[in-house]
Formats: sequence, structure tokens, C-alpha cells
Amino acid sequence: MAQQFPYTYYACCVNISSSSSIAQKRSSRVATAHEEDEDRTFDPRSPRANYSLYPLEHLLYCDDCQQIRCPRCYTEEIVAWYCPSCLFDVPNTQVRTEGNRCQRNCYNCPICTSPLQVNPLEHSSHLAPEGSSGASYFLGCPYCNWSSLDIGVEFAKHTGITAQLAKLKSARQSQAKKERHERAENKDIKDTDPPNAPPTHDDLFTNLRSFYKDTLSSTNPVNPLSFDPTLYNSPPSVTRLMNLYAPPSAKRAKAAKPTPMREAHSPSEGFLPLSPTTEDATIARMAQAGWDGLTSTAQRVQQQHPTTKFVDDLWPVQTRLLTRRAKRCATCRHILTKPDSKISSTRYRIRILALDKIPRLSIRALAAHNTPHPSFPITVSSTASSSTTASRFEYESLRPGVMTQYLLTLHNPLFEPIRVTLGTPAVTPGNLASRVTVLCPQFEVGANTDVWDEALNSSAALSSKSKTQPGDAPIQAEAGKVWERGRNWTSVVVEIVPGFPGDTVVEVPVFVRLEYEYEHPDAAVFEKMREEGGAKVLEVPELGKQTREVAFWTVLGVGKVAGG
Amino acid sequence: MSRPAAASRKSAKGEYIETDTGNKISRRAQITGTANITLGGKTVIQSDVVLRGDLHRLPQRKEDGTMERTPTAISIGRYTVISSGCVLRPPGRNSGGTWRYYGMKVGDNVFIGPNTTLSSASISSHVHIGASCTLGNFSIINSNVKILPGTVVPALMVVPPGVVLGGQPARIVGELGEGWGGGGNGVGGGEEAWVEGGELRELQTMPAFVVREDTGGPNV
Repeated sequence: MAQQFPYTYYACCVNISSSSSIAQKRSSRVATAHEEDEDRTFDPRSPRANYSLYPLEHLLYCDDCQQIRCPRCYTEEIVAWYCPSCLFDVPNTQVRTEGNRCQRNCYNCPICTSPLQVNPLEHSSHLAPEGSSGASYFLGCPYCNWSSLDIGVEFAKHTGITAQLAKLKSARQSQAKKERHERAENKDIKDTDPPNAPPTHDDLFTNLRSFYKDTLSSTNPVNPLSFDPTLYNSPPSVTRLMNLYAPPSAKRAKAAKPTPMREAHSPSEGFLPLSPTTEDATIARMAQAGWDGLTSTAQRVQQQHPTTKFVDDLWPVQTRLLTRRAKRCATCRHILTKPDSKISSTRYRIRILALDKIPRLSIRALAAHNTPHPSFPITVSSTASSSTTASRFEYESLRPGVMTQYLLTLHNPLFEPIRVTLGTPAVTPGNLASRVTVLCPQFEVGANTDVWDEALNSSAALSSKSKTQPGDAPIQAEAGKVWERGRNWTSVVVEIVPGFPGDTVVEVPVFVRLEYEYEHPDAAVFEKMREEGGAKVLEVPELGKQTREVAFWTVLGVGKVAGG
Repeated sequence: MSRPAAASRKSAKGEYIETDTGNKISRRAQITGTANITLGGKTVIQSDVVLRGDLHRLPQRKEDGTMERTPTAISIGRYTVISSGCVLRPPGRNSGGTWRYYGMKVGDNVFIGPNTTLSSASISSHVHIGASCTLGNFSIINSNVKILPGTVVPALMVVPPGVVLGGQPARIVGELGEGWGGGGNGVGGGEEAWVEGGELRELQTMPAFVVREDTGGPNV
């Protein structure tokens, strides 16, 4: 899915490591690769980058490793299984015995996959099979109007659809079986008659299984000394010959060799030979059903047996279950997220997000400052909103060779102010060599303090700049100066000159390095413990303020070059 | 939230009418049955949006013989954006020979893309609906769902929380990351308004997603 411009991706699992501890833990085998990549610019166009770039929302953070964690560096554990349609939890034991399908009333349309609904049948008379009087419900698709009546299925109750369907199916199968048996008995009209329906997949399977069971239990080891001339070339006689010449020590090992078994060779044993008559009948039926009467590959794959050829044979598909998964750091095995096992709540018991630990970078064209985000297409006529439509920035058509100013904003989620150093290659890697200049590569971002602080000291100084009207004289972007600053965010100007079309997408790799003073949240507690416990609590973490460093690569997607 | 109360209310001739609770409603939205519509506050309704508040459940006679108040037809939460050209039509069905409408609920921080038609029974919070979607009668969208542009959600479908929905008919095509819908303290604040007529800081600005194959959703 193409992301809309502008976007920011965060790189994880590239071989740059902010804390050296994790690098040391890894095997020495990759150490050389590490050193090679350490100083290299991250290339968003390299094939490997596909697997290490994620939007910030998808990344987790491991507090112990002090690193971002992406799907490649965390492991998943299933917490609960649930049905996406009825939102009921399915116990693990049931998943093991019944498979990952909803055993309640949830079915999907075999034609279009939309969830089926149980509908009451108003006039249930002509369609009801003989004997069952009160059948008055059917499964209907609200999207494509397929209904279970198309395959002649009705239900007596609106609950327990799975059990009713299973009963119906087995009834049908035993009926077909009976017919086959009857036909098999009077064998004289075998070839000239229209052929009977071949046994179903299920029948063949049960036959085959029982055949193998029988043969396995009845296979007696053939007496190697009995010699049957008809079996001269058969494996038992070869074994016998080998036994005669082999040294005595090898004989015991050879004797353990399993004797070959006969294979199934009739439908009653689960083997269905290709018969021209049934094939002809199938082809005739296909010709009659036409294109619309045949199943598509997608429909066939969804069915229990992918051999279903005709739409008339399609059976409602039980809804597949989904899982809720907990995530663990692959390195230190700490839990990163753990959802509530109850499906009804979307809360997490544990959730350590990169969003809360890593500053958020957002880039926008400076020209589009104070105008809507491009993801909100505006169809307002120009008379009503003159400013918005006039200055809307086209990210999809950047002009090559023309300098465009962008505004890069960093939001700090941490409770400590951070010092940020941004690094970009002067020329972006790849064919489209765009020139990039960060006007102010070193700056500070304020701490994420209480939002009320900003509200209470909302000084004129703060709001004066942010309320730049398009009519006013534009503020000049100066090198070495921060463009704008807020409570926990800072904006700097980035100048980008897109290169001439090679690639069309302009992506700028940015190396972000942060430094902040960090104090352990439980520092006071540990201090007390140390005073009291003495030698016992040696594992007290480093106390007092310490400087922490975090570094990572990001990729800013700033737009597309026009005409590329 | 943190923003000081808007000091200068827009002049009467602007594109938007701002209510006391901060809702911004385009003058060119077509809203019928306004008495049966509730807006939570800070919600934006853009131009050419159709809100059918007149399609409400008929008031029932109470035990003491008096009629109850007209039930709410559409209730919309806070920080919700309804883009231009959307049609919100409360779900209805034939019950006992008469056609009856039922209430429609839209949660907080919901974004509804342009030219989308909705007849859902409920849409929970932190739902992002792309452009030109159709949400069928009585469909239920749980919280933290992203619906890709052009998706058709069949009538009566229930969408579980935390998934990406796409296709015609709608299928589960992926899962959203844990950070969707605002992880915690870090998000929001400081951003300029990116939405026309709104200062929707709470709304996540188009977080992307990663399509996962192993989610157990139906085959596409």
C-alpha cells in the first residue's frame, strides 16, 4: 500500500546499534558486517531496506535493550483465538480439536467471502425436503445474494448452524453412497449407462484410511525361507538372497526392513481410477454450466476440498479465527506488548511503544504550512476558502532542480528535554541524486511536560510565530536557527533540491541522534535500598543522572518528481 | 484539548459555523432533522455532507400514555471529521411489515474520507475510513480499524478491532500496529491544524499499516 506523501519511516534491524551491548551479544559471525555497515549511509532504495522500514506506529520499544523493536526482532505468542465475526473467544483446546474455524453460527459466502446471515424463510413449503416440516431458516449473503437455498440447504433452527450443516452433509453423503452401492450390485449395465457420481473426497479418504489400517495390521513378515518362483524378482526374495550372503552381524539389521505393502486399487479401498465415462460426464456438465457455473480458483481454495468444480457444489465456509498476540523482545525475552485476553477490550496490559520513547518526525512542505494535510482532499470551491486551495502543495509533482523548503518537526514524547543531532547525506543515494541541506542540524526539543504548562503560559511570543498568515511577509529561513519551537516540539527547515528523474520518489535518509539526561524513575527507592541493604543489593542500577544516547535512521518520503 | 479557548470566533460569513462545543459545520452541508443529531464537540462536518437526522426511530408511547422524546438518529463523538460528499444515513429495516430506522453511532477520533456512504449501526473510536467507501446497513465497526479507500462493507458485517479492511466485499487484509490511535502521552500537541476548519490534534494523521499474511483472515 502506497503511503501518501509526506511520510516518515523508521529503520530497525539495520546494522546500526545505539547501545553497544546488543552488538556484543550477537554472534561474532555478523560482527564484521556490522563494522562495515556502521559508517555507511542508510540507503532507502536498497532491497534490504524493504525489510527494515516501518511507520512509527508499528514499532515497539524494549526498555532493557533500549532499542526499537520491529516485527523482525520481536517474537509473538498467541494469547487468545477469537472469531472476527461473532467476537467470541475460542479456547485453545477447541482450536486444537476443531481447527481454527468458528464452531458457532459464523459462515462466509462461498462466492464472495462476505459473512453470511441467518434469515427466516417466509414461505417454507416447496423447497423443504420431505420429512422435515419446520425448516424455515437459510443462510444468505447480503453482498452477492447467494443463499444456502441455491444448494438446497435449509435449517430448522437459527442456532447451531454448524451441527445442522454437518448433519445435512453426512445425510447427503450417505444417500449418495447408498445409490452407488445399489448401482454397483447390478453390474451388467455398467458401461452403457450414464455413470454414477464418483465417491466424494471424504468417502475416498475414509476408505483409504481404513484400507491402510487393515493392511498395516495384517501385514505379516513374509517367511524368508519360503520360496515362491512367481515372486522371483519381488523384494522378499531379494531380501532372502541378500540374507544368505550377508555376514551374520548384518542379518539382524536387514530383517527389520519393512515388507512392501500392496497399494489400494479399487474405490472401496480409496483409490479412484480415472474413468473416461465420469470425465466425460464432468466435461458435459461443465459445458452445460458455462463459465458462471464454475468455481474460480479463489473460491475453490476456500472450500474444504479444493476439487469443487461447480458453483452448485459450493458449501458455506466456516469463518476462520483470528488471534491476539503478545510480543516479546527476541533478544532479552521481555514482554513488549500483551493485549487483554478478552476480545471485547482493546486495552493492553503491557504496551511499550516506540511512539512513547522515540521522537516523532514529521515533514511537510513549508509552502503547505498552515494549509491542510494532503490526505484531506478539499473540494471546497475557491470562493469560500481562498487561502487553502490556493497554496496547496503538490507532493506528487516536485520540480527537479528547484529548491523546495520543507519543515521537519520533531515531537518529544519523553519527560526529559532532548538534544538532537540530525545527519543527512548531502546527496541522497540512488539514481535520483537530490541535494539535501538541514539548515539547523543541532537543536533541542523540550520535555513532554504537562499539557497545561503550555496552556497556562501561552505567551504571545509562542503564538505570534505560529499564526503566520499567508498574507504576511514570510519569515526567512536562516541557517543555524530553529524555525519554530513549542512545548515538546521543534521545527527546522530542510532544503531539498530534487534530482533529475531517475527514480521518481524522493526519499531522504536522516540519521537521528539524541542525547538526554536520564534518571532512573525509582532512583530514590534504590538509594534507600542501598543504604539499608549494603552488600545485598549489588544489582542496583546506576543512579543519579546519566546521559543516554539513542540513534536511529529514518527515511522521509518528501514527494515525487514530476514527469518521472 | 490543551489549546486555550478560541479567542476569536470566526466571523459569521465564514465557511464554517462553530458551535459552543467547538463543532465546525460547513454552511453547505445538507443536514436534515437537526434536532435528532448530536455532535460531541470539536467535530468537523465539511461541505456537501448529508446527515439524515430525519430518519429516526418513531417515538414510542410510554406507560403513562405520553409520547417519549424523539430518539437520536445520528450521534457523533468528539474530534471526528466527516469529509465532503459523505452521506450518513441511519440504518433501517423492515420489521413486522413496517420500515423502521435505528440509531447510528459514530465514536471519537473517527475520520471519514470524502464521498463515503454510511448506514452503519455503530462506528467505534479511532476508526479511519478512506475515500469512496460504502458501509452497509447495520454494519458494526469496532475501534481501531482502518478501512482502505473504495471498500464495500456488506450489510450486517461485524468488523473486529485492530484490523485493516479492504476489498469488495470487505475482507480483513491486515492488522494495525499497536501504536494506532495514539499510544499515550507522546502523541498530539504542538501540531498545526492539518484539517480544514479543524484543530484535530487527537486524530492520528494517516498512520500506515503493514499487511500481514498470517492473520487468519479469509483468502483474498
